[in-house]
Amino acid sequence: MKAPRTPMTARAGTPAPAEAGAGHWPGTVPAAEAPGRLAVPEGRRRDAERFQWGSLALLAPAAALLVVLFIIPVVYAFYLGFTNLQLVGINAVDWHFTGAENLRRLAGDHVFSYSVELTLVFIAGSIVGVVVIGLALAMLMQVALAPLRILAGGIVVVAWMMPAITAGMTWYASTTARGTFGTLMGLANSDFLHSEPMLIVTLANIWSQTGFAMMVFGAALRNIPRDILESAQIENASRLQRFARITLPLLRPTIVTTVLLITLISLANFGLIYVMTQGGPGNATSILPIYSYQQAFQFNNLAYGALVGNTLVILCAIFGAIYVRVSMRRA
Amino acid sequence: MSKSPRRARFVSAAAAALVAIALAACSGSGATAKAPSTEPAGPFVLKVAYGSNYVFDTTGLTQKWWQQVAAEFKASHPKATVQFIPIPGSYNDIVTKLSLLYRSASTAPDVAEIPTGQIGLWAQAGYLLPLNTYLKSASWWGRFPKVIQSEGTFSGTVYAVDQGENDSALLYNKQMFATAGIPLPWQPKTWQDIITAAERIKAKLPGVTPLWLNSGTGSGANGLLQGINNFIVGSKTPTIYDTGTGKFVVDSPGIRAALSLYSQAFAHGLVADTSALFSPNAVTTPLTWFQQAKLAIAVGSNYYGGNWTKAISAPYWPQAPEVMGEAVIPTEAGGGVASTLGGWDFAIAAHSPVAKAAFDFISLAENQQNSIDAANWAGWVPPDRDYWILPAYTDFAPPYNAFFARITPFATLTPSNSAYSVWVQGMGEATGAIAQNPRTSVSQAVAILRNYVTGQLGADRVEVLR
Repeated sequence: MKAPRTPMTARAGTPAPAEAGAGHWPGTVPAAEAPGRLAVPEGRRRDAERFQWGSLALLAPAAALLVVLFIIPVVYAFYLGFTNLQLVGINAVDWHFTGAENLRRLAGDHVFSYSVELTLVFIAGSIVGVVVIGLALAMLMQVALAPLRILAGGIVVVAWMMPAITAGMTWYASTTARGTFGTLMGLANSDFLHSEPMLIVTLANIWSQTGFAMMVFGAALRNIPRDILESAQIENASRLQRFARITLPLLRPTIVTTVLLITLISLANFGLIYVMTQGGPGNATSILPIYSYQQAFQFNNLAYGALVGNTLVILCAIFGAIYVRVSMRRA
Repeated sequence: MSKSPRRARFVSAAAAALVAIALAACSGSGATAKAPSTEPAGPFVLKVAYGSNYVFDTTGLTQKWWQQVAAEFKASHPKATVQFIPIPGSYNDIVTKLSLLYRSASTAPDVAEIPTGQIGLWAQAGYLLPLNTYLKSASWWGRFPKVIQSEGTFSGTVYAVDQGENDSALLYNKQMFATAGIPLPWQPKTWQDIITAAERIKAKLPGVTPLWLNSGTGSGANGLLQGINNFIVGSKTPTIYDTGTGKFVVDSPGIRAALSLYSQAFAHGLVADTSALFSPNAVTTPLTWFQQAKLAIAVGSNYYGGNWTKAISAPYWPQAPEVMGEAVIPTEAGGGVASTLGGWDFAIAAHSPVAKAAFDFISLAENQQNSIDAANWAGWVPPDRDYWILPAYTDFAPPYNAFFARITPFATLTPSNSAYSVWVQGMGEATGAIAQNPRTSVSQAVAILRNYVTGQLGADRVEVLR
């Protein structure tokens, strides 16, 4: 947590601290020099961050946990990615560093490149679905009658609360032959899960994440000042204009945060897909976490599985960096 | 509060798999051969690991059997304490857990129940104790058929001894065959006879699924053991893993013949839909479908009969012996007996400080009562051929138990190699492609297998038989 760069007290018109005022009387600061520039020129600001040695002791336990439980395993996993370690077999005991051999294999592995593609499709589909449906639900809830709102909200939140295994079983049962989906569409014997596997697992993920987005958007919508919307209405702005020009820009930081969270949750949603298809049929739903598991624990290639897992970490880091940049730019 | 699990998952998301992998890799240890040990003088602990809810048919029978053996062991070894390490979960979970236990001499179980397909890899890794010296004095070992002895033997060294075997045959509904006008008892001479019978059923009994053929990746190695591998090992080129060259066969006349049978069955609409075939429970689905009169023929396993008994009830079907007939799977050449073979075995850890006692435990487990109980309760053929004709075994699930025991000596073992799971995935994708789109040609299916296995293992680990 960083202290705000612009002190809350330093608004135009408020007295500037004497030592930073460069000889102006309080209240007579020229407009050009107003808020931000009051800051540093000479002398220290009293509210500047100061380093205290004692803080190290307080931070140490958290840092130790992070190092032991996060940084060391991740670094070790990156190292393992460049070895020939196996779960069983001759290289389970006698294993060593193999340099770029695994990387060469990764470069030529068409199952891996397909897996990366599937991962991107899964993430993109999930983000679009969750944000659009979550936002639509949140906006509809604003105008719904209270009992209806509570009922609908409750149902959506229950879907979100369900453990991945339950959600997976529910979707498995309703999208295979004689399931609810096919029966409702008059195609009782259609096996949607195995004919359109990627679409169905993405829908299942959207279904299980939407409740979260709806709640976040609901809270954000309630914080949009009514007077702005009302004045726009008085100016004859249409519904669409009000949504595009006022609601959406004000929701932007919320949307960015939600997108980041949905990305990371979806990438970790191993259980949902594993319960529904185990990555199949064939490789049709084998996104990176599933492929990593398959390599490590089904094919016994711990090292190669670690390398596939590492690409997932890098992918997460890239997504994270993009979102952080986007959300910083809003100022 | 409902949020916390989600958050926890998010925080640990990226690293979860890696942490698991990293932990898995901690604490490795070397393994070297050791002279046979003698019985410890003082009190000692014997660690015994077994699959607690997958290997036997029910968890209750699992406990009952292991405790029965442990009780006999303690009677003859009063200073011993048997410490059980029950491993929950299915095939992969058991293999993973055992692999992790074996990585360190301190956690390695003295006696472990291990699947046949893993013996080679664990022996190669130095985890398992050579048993040859102990077996010299074991009377039961000589009564195991050659093929069963060979499953734990690598270059003359025995690393594991069989606990029980699974093999395959055709099971069929006699009443449906009578309705369709097929003479009984049915015994197909060729693979084509199987298709012909299924077509008769389809014509005469609409609404019944004529034939069950396991396919797709969902059932893993089990789906192949109880599916297409029966035809491959019965073909003119039965090799899947070439032990001479250390290469996997990704294309052979036998593989093409077996895939062609699949292709024909799916193209003629003789097989169940993908929802049933790709289900994780696919391999046991025929048991219920037979009982519900929804299925006419299955390439099935020896445990079917036992599962229909009251003791197992999965599901209970007392009329099964009247309704269900059995026939051997013919070889490609016509006549003959084709079947896969795979089961579970006992092995001793390479560094076990109580190896002698561990072998005594295994000997007790192989005695008449225990071996037959295990076979009945887990759905196996016992490895000792003297037990095949004993009423305790044959009368548990007549006529199936006696029938499947007779097939055993002709059956072909599943490859025991760490890369076999890759071949399993490739073949599962090939049969799965045919199941999803019956217009898939045999050449296309073979290409799926070849490309997958070559991509994963490299061109130097695959071969084509002509």
